[in-house]
Amino acid sequence: MIAPVQLANLQLVELVWLVPLLPLLGFVILMFFGRRLGEPVAGWLATAAMGGSFLASVLVFVGMLGLEGGESGERIVEVKLFDWVVAGDFSVDIGLLADPLSVTMILFITGVATLIHLYSIGYMHGDANFSKFFVYLNLFAFSMLMLVLGDNLLLTFLGWEGVGACSYFLISFWFTDEANASAGKKAFVTNRVGDFGFMLATFLAFFAYGSIEYGEMFSGSAIPAGTATAIALLVFVGAAGKSAQFPLYLWLPDAMAGPTPVSALIHAATMVTSGIYLLARINPILAASHDWAPSLIAWVGLFTALFAASIAVAQDDIKKVLAYSTVSQLGFMVVAVGTGVYVAALFHMITHAFFKALMFLGSGSVIHGMNDDQNMKRYGGLAKLMPITAGTFLIGWLAIAGIPPFSGFWSKDEILVGVYDNSDIFANKVLFVLLLIAALLTAFYMTRLVILTFFGPPRWRDEVTGEALIESDDELPVRHPHESPWMMTLPLVVLAGLALVAGFINLPFASDLHFLGNWLEPSFYFNGHSNEYHAAAGGGTKLTLAVIATICAIGGIGAAWKLYFDKRGGTGPDAPAIMAQGWGYDNAVSNFMGGPGSKGFDALAEFDGKVLDGAVNGVGKLIQLDGSFLRRIQNGLVRSYAVLIALGAIGLMVYFLVVST
Amino acid sequence: MSAVLAANVGFPLLPVLVVLPVLGALVIALTPSTRPDVARAIALSTTVMTAALGIYLLWNFETSNGTFQFESDQSWIESFGISWLAGVDGISLWLIVLTVLLFPLAIFAVVPEHSPKPYYAWLLILQTGCLGVFVALDLFMFFVFFEIVLVPMYFLIANWGHGNRHYAAMKFFIYTMLGSALMLVGMLSLVWLHAKAPGNELTFDIRELAASDAVGTNAARWIFLSFAVAFAVKVPIFPLHTWLPDAHTEAPTAGSVILAGVMLKLGTYGFLRFGLYLFPEASHYFAPVFLTLGVIGIIYGAIVATMQKDLKRLVAYSSVAHLGFIVLGTFSLNSEGITGGILQMVNHGVSTGALFLLVGWIYERRHTREIAKLGGLQKVAPIMAAMFTVVMLSSIGLPGLNGFVGEYLILVGAFVAHRWWAVVAAAGVILASLYLLWAYQRVFHGPIDEENADTKDLNFREIAIMVPFIAAIVFMGIYPKPVIDRMEPSVDALVMHIQDNVDGFDEPVNEGRKGDGWAGVQAANEAANGDDEDHAEDDE
Amino acid sequence: MILLLQDSGSFAFPDVDWGGLSPLLVMAGVPLVFLTVWSLTSHIAPRRTPSIVAVLGGIGTIVAAAIQWGRVSGDDVPGFSTLSSAYSVDGFSMLLTMLIAAAVTLTALFAHDYLEREDINSAEFFVLLMLSASGGIVMAGANDLIVLFLGLEVLSIAVYVLAASHMRRAESQEAGIKYFVLGAFASAFLLYGIALMYGATGSTNLVHISEWSAKLSREGNTGLLYGGMALLLVGLGFKVAAVPFHSWTPDVYHGAPSPTVSFMASAVKVAGFAGLLRVFNLTLGADALADDWAPMIFVLAVLSLIYGTVVGVVQDNVKRMLAYSSISHAGFILVGVEAASDDGMTAALYYLAAYTFIAIGSFAVISVAAPKGDAAHSLTDYKGLASRKPVLALAFTILLLAQAGVPFTTGFLGKFFVIGASIQSENYLLAIFAMLAAVVGAFLYLRIVLAMYSTGDEADAAVTGTEPIPWTAALTIGITVAFTVFFGIFADLMVDLVGDAVPQLVRETAAG
Repeated sequence: MIAPVQLANLQLVELVWLVPLLPLLGFVILMFFGRRLGEPVAGWLATAAMGGSFLASVLVFVGMLGLEGGESGERIVEVKLFDWVVAGDFSVDIGLLADPLSVTMILFITGVATLIHLYSIGYMHGDANFSKFFVYLNLFAFSMLMLVLGDNLLLTFLGWEGVGACSYFLISFWFTDEANASAGKKAFVTNRVGDFGFMLATFLAFFAYGSIEYGEMFSGSAIPAGTATAIALLVFVGAAGKSAQFPLYLWLPDAMAGPTPVSALIHAATMVTSGIYLLARINPILAASHDWAPSLIAWVGLFTALFAASIAVAQDDIKKVLAYSTVSQLGFMVVAVGTGVYVAALFHMITHAFFKALMFLGSGSVIHGMNDDQNMKRYGGLAKLMPITAGTFLIGWLAIAGIPPFSGFWSKDEILVGVYDNSDIFANKVLFVLLLIAALLTAFYMTRLVILTFFGPPRWRDEVTGEALIESDDELPVRHPHESPWMMTLPLVVLAGLALVAGFINLPFASDLHFLGNWLEPSFYFNGHSNEYHAAAGGGTKLTLAVIATICAIGGIGAAWKLYFDKRGGTGPDAPAIMAQGWGYDNAVSNFMGGPGSKGFDALAEFDGKVLDGAVNGVGKLIQLDGSFLRRIQNGLVRSYAVLIALGAIGLMVYFLVVST
Repeated sequence: MSAVLAANVGFPLLPVLVVLPVLGALVIALTPSTRPDVARAIALSTTVMTAALGIYLLWNFETSNGTFQFESDQSWIESFGISWLAGVDGISLWLIVLTVLLFPLAIFAVVPEHSPKPYYAWLLILQTGCLGVFVALDLFMFFVFFEIVLVPMYFLIANWGHGNRHYAAMKFFIYTMLGSALMLVGMLSLVWLHAKAPGNELTFDIRELAASDAVGTNAARWIFLSFAVAFAVKVPIFPLHTWLPDAHTEAPTAGSVILAGVMLKLGTYGFLRFGLYLFPEASHYFAPVFLTLGVIGIIYGAIVATMQKDLKRLVAYSSVAHLGFIVLGTFSLNSEGITGGILQMVNHGVSTGALFLLVGWIYERRHTREIAKLGGLQKVAPIMAAMFTVVMLSSIGLPGLNGFVGEYLILVGAFVAHRWWAVVAAAGVILASLYLLWAYQRVFHGPIDEENADTKDLNFREIAIMVPFIAAIVFMGIYPKPVIDRMEPSVDALVMHIQDNVDGFDEPVNEGRKGDGWAGVQAANEAANGDDEDHAEDDE
Repeated sequence: MILLLQDSGSFAFPDVDWGGLSPLLVMAGVPLVFLTVWSLTSHIAPRRTPSIVAVLGGIGTIVAAAIQWGRVSGDDVPGFSTLSSAYSVDGFSMLLTMLIAAAVTLTALFAHDYLEREDINSAEFFVLLMLSASGGIVMAGANDLIVLFLGLEVLSIAVYVLAASHMRRAESQEAGIKYFVLGAFASAFLLYGIALMYGATGSTNLVHISEWSAKLSREGNTGLLYGGMALLLVGLGFKVAAVPFHSWTPDVYHGAPSPTVSFMASAVKVAGFAGLLRVFNLTLGADALADDWAPMIFVLAVLSLIYGTVVGVVQDNVKRMLAYSSISHAGFILVGVEAASDDGMTAALYYLAAYTFIAIGSFAVISVAAPKGDAAHSLTDYKGLASRKPVLALAFTILLLAQAGVPFTTGFLGKFFVIGASIQSENYLLAIFAMLAAVVGAFLYLRIVLAMYSTGDEADAAVTGTEPIPWTAALTIGITVAFTVFFGIFADLMVDLVGDAVPQLVRETAAG
């Protein structure tokens, strides 16, 4: 017996199918009529579709709030649409799963996506394939939403591959440039390596449970820890691909070849976080696996965070800095997942989505202003000329650096607390310290970016006045920076606002203020207890940790300021080249691929032609050889023919005489 | 049902379906060679009529019926117990549909460069051959059709092919004939062993032969091998595949489409109908061999494809990889694998057929298939690029497109049955993306040079031809159910047949721990509730 | 299947069943009568007359044979022997008679225009053709080794002359001589064989021999008998061109005029196998004996299959290629013989029937493809034939594919039946050999097809198919192709016919 009001709420939640449907419609319409609609209508239509999807998500959210939370599981709603793949024991449907976790995801995905669609209308202005860009964006949004809403591993995988394909399209959007094309391919193939893991995970899950539907899996009887570990780690391989963890992060920096809105939406805010989402989704399996598995995940995350941060320090390309910073931040989230503080992971995912999207869009605005030059060393002093961009960007900067009360501070602090507190994780204290260093580095390189871009004297010559504020021996680039149109700045402002306040959705002070945590609880609550690790640390500890974190952040900023703020227009000391090249890892891999790798492939192709096919033709040759040998018998001489006959006769005689006796 | 009866009793659907194309060929032979348009018109209308019959068949096919339908039985060589024995079940149904649909499209898609009359005639004869194989329930009938397809394809390659076409045609003919030569011996051995057993008489009816226990285990294994070699060559299974790249590459576009789309399936279909069905024990006994070869094919084909310089050759090698998947599914001997295998036969027919068409059109425009000479085509031919992309992604196995469903079912089936084979095979998924995307990048992406600059985009006819392919690719990717539903009863029957005839073998199954969904989760929570207070405060 | 009746024992002038001999009488009588008439009327009668006579004679023989067959087929013992059981009339002999007669008809049909073209036309050709055929018919019905030898010689001597009948071609003369010398050599072996047989069994009559041979093998006293068998095998093996007694074939096929070759490939082979089957499968068919001679047939079969195909592959002259292919076909028929079973014999007969038409058709094509001189038969000469004479090329293609054993042709069914027979008697090895040979053989035939369908300057330079095709040849080719394909699809008719052609081993019966 359900109360009518509750029923109404339930019906609201069951509207969830609207959320992916709208972008899908947008995609279909644009695919067929996009060119005819042209600019800017196509863009507006796509944006409208996203906006509608966002509203739908809000409705679902409201409806879900109306349902009883906590352990009751009322907030877990399935909407089955139709059978998809059914054969033998294997049965999977197209069904949507609306629970706090997925609803959280769709809320910020659709939200951010809408803003970035809007931004793109301005950014893609005048592009030959304007409408096609939005075709891809809508398709991406649809896939991303299927990924988070799918109620089974396979449907998640569908979204998973879908976003991969879209990212491929969008990275190589300006395909006439060989580099972009390669970057797209690299992204897809590298992701495929991860998908390999994901697929195996689904097989193993099916083998273990006989189903790959989340509900049926998690309600199933316990599986051996070994199997659970295997599944968890295989999923993590997939996650490492999508969420750019070491060693599969390689594709993400190159992915910056795509248009900046793409970098913001796909390669910062949404797609790259799907790995984190998936790990959070299968938390019961992580919980069931051996203890060392989560530790491993956490440490991989940490290594990625440090590694990427160290590379970010040395980049001059503004987007590359942001890219490596994204990798590093994803590392933080993975650490959180590994530590079992899923809420913190999602918390950071959301805040990061805001401030990193913000900064990417900001950088896009800057790049726009600087004639598509991305080298920060030729920037400088843009704060005055691009006030909105600069202002919003600074908020993002403070947020990621971890300065209270900006959102980044809260989410990062959550993770740090979790890591410090959860002693099940291998050497968690060490982990904690290293994570602090990563945080410090973050503050450092972001500060460097901000200084080189917005402060100090401009290291370029003004197009109009033609005057240069610094004298330098080498020729300065001629630029005419200008603030971007409102379609581009409005999203900046909104995101800035969110980056500012997003922290308050999950305040540590009291469990009542732990809104996000309480909201997400049902998604981690199985068999009567929560898989979420609840830090036992008291307020005192939490406070000290927060203070330490803040000090690190300020330290990082201070150091960077000392090194890079230069009134005379210097660009500060250069980090060692090896760091700039990502410790040579990328080169090593591509060298292997280009060298031994392709040589091996070639060898096999040779083998196919020479050996296998050679054998086949060899048989033919052999027969002809025998033929030309035997034909000698046919020498045209009657006597030799007679001899042959005689020999035959003798042979027969001999045989018959033998058998007869 | 009544419709089915009508089809069975009233109207000899299958005989007509098989014979119609060859009649068309005869009519074409009578037309004056000065009127190629007439020949084309006849060819098109014949194939369209055949397609209509095929659709009619599909329409009247009983979904839930696992036995043979639309049977027709007509004595042929009475003294040898040979008869025209035709029937359709869920396994052959979709291959027939594929055949009847692919031919008109292939004919519509390309106009031969010279002597159109024999060209169309051979194509129609080829269709008869393929259909004959798919409907045959009599070993002799199967064999003659299986053999006859070589002749038209031989001429299509030799007379309308490119480059080294004579070599390719000869190789194709001799290689495949060599395979089936031994099959004839095995076939007759099987028949005679059956006939000599008390109470049996000479028959080529596969259902009687499958039910027969006259053949000893050992003999059955040998005979199975003789069949297997023939099919392995046709499929082709590594290392017997080397005829394929040459044949595919040198064949005219329509030839390649049919070769890849339909003729390779004669082998995989043969494995199901005449391998697993006639020799369940032997199939089970040799399964590891074929699984291994299948997996090798997947990896090997993909790697060799990566290194090809000729676009058509690349697609050809991709077939080796795809067919490897089908073999893997077939010999996993469970419903998932076999269903996936059949599905993949159709999928491969669609996507590779489409790929060959596109490559053919590129060739028509640029007169080269050399990847190095192409580039940047997406700029001048965006529609072609878009179509190519979709087909390519389906071939890569992107979820939501047809390729994925089959591939995934195969891998699931294989994983449950033989875990490690599936693990290696899954790696092929990575490679597939590698060689196809790389090829795409080199052909469609990048800067465009003046040779490619004036490449025309697809014209209306070509788009019209691609649309059905794309539609099939998307539909079967999103909603394969209607397809699977029709094949499932027959597949289950086959799996059952294997289990019954192989002692100590059951269809490998999962460990089956699944619960009853989120309701179950709730129940578990309520059950465990109250024991632990420590989380109570979290929920206020 | 061997049925024995009591010997009356009394000596009487053998009563003759003229009806039973009618096919032979037609085939032998027509040329003799015609020769006399022609010597008087040759200057007034149209030049085509001889060929017309030969065609009619052939048809007449077929009709007569059909009547006789109809006459015996009803009886509880479908067959009888006459001339004091020297000549037997049964389905077997009548079928082979019809085949030989058909060979005469079809060859004569296209021979005339060929001879005109080569202007070597003369009535003798047709007379010799028919006389030789009558010899073949004698062999087909021979119920006595002496009669067999008689037929063989009549057959051969005429063919020697036919082979040499192209006056203007040295190769033709050479072929005649070679064939004659070697033929004589082989006949000698045959004769010795007969002598030994007589020594062993005290008779040359097959009925008697079969009784005695069975007895001898029971007693284990088979020395002489087997010696005879060996030499008989040599003589007959020569006629059917089985390795190692084949050596004359390529040279003779290459040199002799195409119509002659078509007759040799068909009628002569049929006659040879008639003797082989009658002597070995029928007379010496008792299991104990068969177990001893079958291995030798096995060897001959394998040798012929391998040699015929493998050496054929490396030839570059179409006529020689077909010569080698005829050797390998002999190998296939021997596979049926080797089975030493009823089905084996039926299979062999079917193969013979199928091959007769295929061979005649093929050589008819060859006779019209090359221009005057009958010399341009190298593969390069055949290049581009398809573009010059598409229909002719298609017909040749069909005949060649039939020889390769492609389904829906009698050629395929022939292979199918012989393989089936040998598998039925569990000679899997031989079956596999045969099939592999078939594959290699396919390569041989496809080389010719490729040549015909190849294009380019080289093809334009080629000389074949430049002249118009005379209707007679067209008709011959048409008939053979139609036969090959029609019975390849609607197989039952011919299979049943051949199935009825069981040889009978019976003494003369008063009822005759």
